[in-house]
Amino acid sequence: MEITRQRFCRLDVVIDELHALFEEWEREDALLAHLDQQTVELLRLAVHEWIANLVQHADFAGRSPEVILDVYPNGRRVRCVIEDNSEGFPFPEQLYVQQEALAPLPERGMGLLMLNAATEYFEYSLTDDGMRRLEFTVSADKDSWLDIPFS
Amino acid sequence: MEATTMNFTIEPVTSETVVIRIGKALDFRNAADFKAAAQTQVRAGIRSFILDFTDTGILDSTGLGSIFSLYRQVSPMNGQVVFASVSRPVQVVVQLTRTYKVFRQFSTVEAARKAVN
Repeated sequence: MEITRQRFCRLDVVIDELHALFEEWEREDALLAHLDQQTVELLRLAVHEWIANLVQHADFAGRSPEVILDVYPNGRRVRCVIEDNSEGFPFPEQLYVQQEALAPLPERGMGLLMLNAATEYFEYSLTDDGMRRLEFTVSADKDSWLDIPFS
Repeated sequence: MEATTMNFTIEPVTSETVVIRIGKALDFRNAADFKAAAQTQVRAGIRSFILDFTDTGILDSTGLGSIFSLYRQVSPMNGQVVFASVSRPVQVVVQLTRTYKVFRQFSTVEAARKAVN
């Protein structure tokens, strides 16, 4: 699979479009030629969690939403870049707050933690052209897990 | 008699047990519907929930949170929540969050029915 770029413009259907895209890749064995199924599913979950975060919480300040997904398979890992034209989030701070506030069997506040757990590395930044950019990798060699308190 | 609530189909098994077929997704878009549907069942005396994930392609953090909420509600009443026919995307979430420590899993709904009753 070559580097692939997808652009999404409608927040009301972006989740359906995203999963349809993964299902298309699955039918074509596009990602599985490079990665095992578990890693592909972790990638799908991480992308879903971030885009769900955008749908629920992002402020696009009246602009037409634009979300651009780039996926770069590379050996036993895959690099993913998601850019959007929202006002952005204080992402590392939110992650810290979610980690500190995680209650036993939590109902909310696991999204960014699941993204963090599923990924090997991530970076959130502002691009020169004003887009918010989340970049992360998912690795077949990482033992991914999130420590949720159960009691 | 089966009842369909939003995206979920609820099938009574006994006076205290139901199977909820989750359908394609349990995520931030329908987690509140799931919670409301489960709440209605709890009020009607249901204590054991078999969640059928056969067709489920998406279980996200909000969806999982709604299941935790149900578990917190029924476990003090000796209730239980079990997973059946867990699809691959759901299994990834179960493994990532290690929730297999909380929710028993069964390969089929039938196996779950036998174990729960």
